[in-house]
Amino acid sequence: MMPKTSTLLWIATLAALVVLPLVNDSSYVRHVAIVALLYASLVSSWNLTLGFAGVFNFGHMAFFALGAYAAAILTQTFGLSPWLGMVAAIATSVIASVIVCLPVLRLKGIYVVLVTFAFGQLCYQVILNQRDITGGTFGIVSIPPLKIAGYSFAANTNIGYYYFALILLVASTVYVAKLVKSDFGRTVMALRDNETYAISRGVASAKIRLMIFMASAIFPGAVGGLYSFYVRAASPDLFGFSLITLGLSMLLVGGIGTVWGPLVGAATLTILSELMADLGPGRYLVIATMIVLVLRFLPGGLVSAGDIIARALGAKTPGVLAPRRAPPDRATSRDTPTG
Amino acid sequence: MDWIDPILAAARPILVSGIVLASLYALMATGLALVWNTLGIFNFAHGVFMTLGAYVAWQVADGRGFGWGLSAGIGISVAVMAGLGVVLNRLLISPFLGRKDIVLVAVMTTLAGAFFLENSTLLIWGPRIKQLDRIVTGNIKIMGSAISMHELVIIILAPLVLVGLWAFLKWTRVGSAIRAVAQNRDSALLLGINVKATYSLAFAISAGLAGGAGVLLGAIRFITPTMGTEPLLKAFIVVILGGLGSFVGTIVSAYLIGFMEAFSTYFIGAYWTQAAMFGLFIVVLVALPRGLMGRE
Repeated sequence: MMPKTSTLLWIATLAALVVLPLVNDSSYVRHVAIVALLYASLVSSWNLTLGFAGVFNFGHMAFFALGAYAAAILTQTFGLSPWLGMVAAIATSVIASVIVCLPVLRLKGIYVVLVTFAFGQLCYQVILNQRDITGGTFGIVSIPPLKIAGYSFAANTNIGYYYFALILLVASTVYVAKLVKSDFGRTVMALRDNETYAISRGVASAKIRLMIFMASAIFPGAVGGLYSFYVRAASPDLFGFSLITLGLSMLLVGGIGTVWGPLVGAATLTILSELMADLGPGRYLVIATMIVLVLRFLPGGLVSAGDIIARALGAKTPGVLAPRRAPPDRATSRDTPTG
Repeated sequence: MDWIDPILAAARPILVSGIVLASLYALMATGLALVWNTLGIFNFAHGVFMTLGAYVAWQVADGRGFGWGLSAGIGISVAVMAGLGVVLNRLLISPFLGRKDIVLVAVMTTLAGAFFLENSTLLIWGPRIKQLDRIVTGNIKIMGSAISMHELVIIILAPLVLVGLWAFLKWTRVGSAIRAVAQNRDSALLLGINVKATYSLAFAISAGLAGGAGVLLGAIRFITPTMGTEPLLKAFIVVILGGLGSFVGTIVSAYLIGFMEAFSTYFIGAYWTQAAMFGLFIVVLVALPRGLMGRE
């Protein structure tokens, strides 16, 4: 049997990403690639709560930022090994997700947005407050790099970080793809699509929500740790509005509630934003406009565009980039407000 | 009774700074609440209205801008913001009305709008901080503590504006129309109220109020592209604590939060206060989701 076109396409992309550092060692391209890879795993894990579970979790970037800080503090201040720092980053992120999830269990719609958002702000204020530990507004700098047997990941133009970020992305993508196809994933989506029915069929809504929050928090923790070792700094800006907006736009532009959408979105927006670097703040005007236009005219995101084009061309096979499940619109249609 | 002296000495500055903060929060929060009640959406671009209001006033009033004087600055700023409110409603909200995920789509479109406007101010006015002139210069002593005349203006002006708004909503036909739409959109539509125009008007008032608050704040603090973020977050807290759907609740809660903030800034410091505010916010959302005076 011929493998599907989409599978071939993704294998080709992966192969290209593996080969990229071998053919190009410009530090600029390397940096953009690493950032894109990190963003991709960050938003594809965010997609678990926001897209697949339909819970409007605005705290995902706070999980990431807390992971970065945990790794930074333990390695820079307490001199722990960076690898232990990575573990601590993941643990911190997962613990944070449990704390956020508890109030969320009782709330709906806009209230979920506000609580999860307030959690990020609360962490931000505490981090500003604890200057002795966190460096306050200056953040933490000169964090030690990751090393394996004395080989620094920063050597050879950060090639170690590049491959680590790529491995992380492959792992998170496989993880998300497997998870949404599993019974657990189906339960999560059932709860999103018809909560009352799912509960009446015996789905323990609170338990499932808590589990999907924890499941979604593993990768932001890891990305946070890796990020702080890569840029060798952790700054309170990580809790800001703009990072949330950027992450959200990657999800929405790519296609929320699909496995591949966030990856497409992260790649598109990171590269686009770099191409427009000359515009300065002007590029954010373009990105903001893009978000609104996509929400208006392409609610399924860029991945649904492939489908639409394929249909327009009269092709019988589903589009190359088309998600196999989760039609557009569905991801965001739950959680209408009660207020 | 020695122990009471420091508390009394502290009480006056707390009272003054609390009431100034509260007045600004009240202006911000009523605008946010007005849009929430009428359209049923939370406007994340509300803070940027404030920022932009301050910048526009600066542009019009300051010698390095057009130099037309402060009163022109205030008037033009509020008018421009009201107009911008209508435009934003047209671009970011109207096209999505009727979608069942409107509340969350609106969060994203208004976030995108805020992102757009914030970076626009950076493009237009650059990162250098600016400050507006005070409406009235000089200081005055009230109850034994000095207060700037500008702050006194804020303290007096904010309640007047809010009473005016309340009277407008209560006693004019247009105001009643806004309240009717807020209470029941469908029957308002059946009564022949132009719901879309009402939405635009609510947005215009809300943005105008935020712009006015920006002008007032822009003379006390520095004007930066992100100056609206903190007041926006405070407005969220105020609106939730007051209870969605209650005009009086929002105002009571604004003054409550203002005093609480001033009090706790004095005793436990600014950073812990901000953290405590968000802690309180989460507790209120979970334990008391209807707020102090919210309706069902």
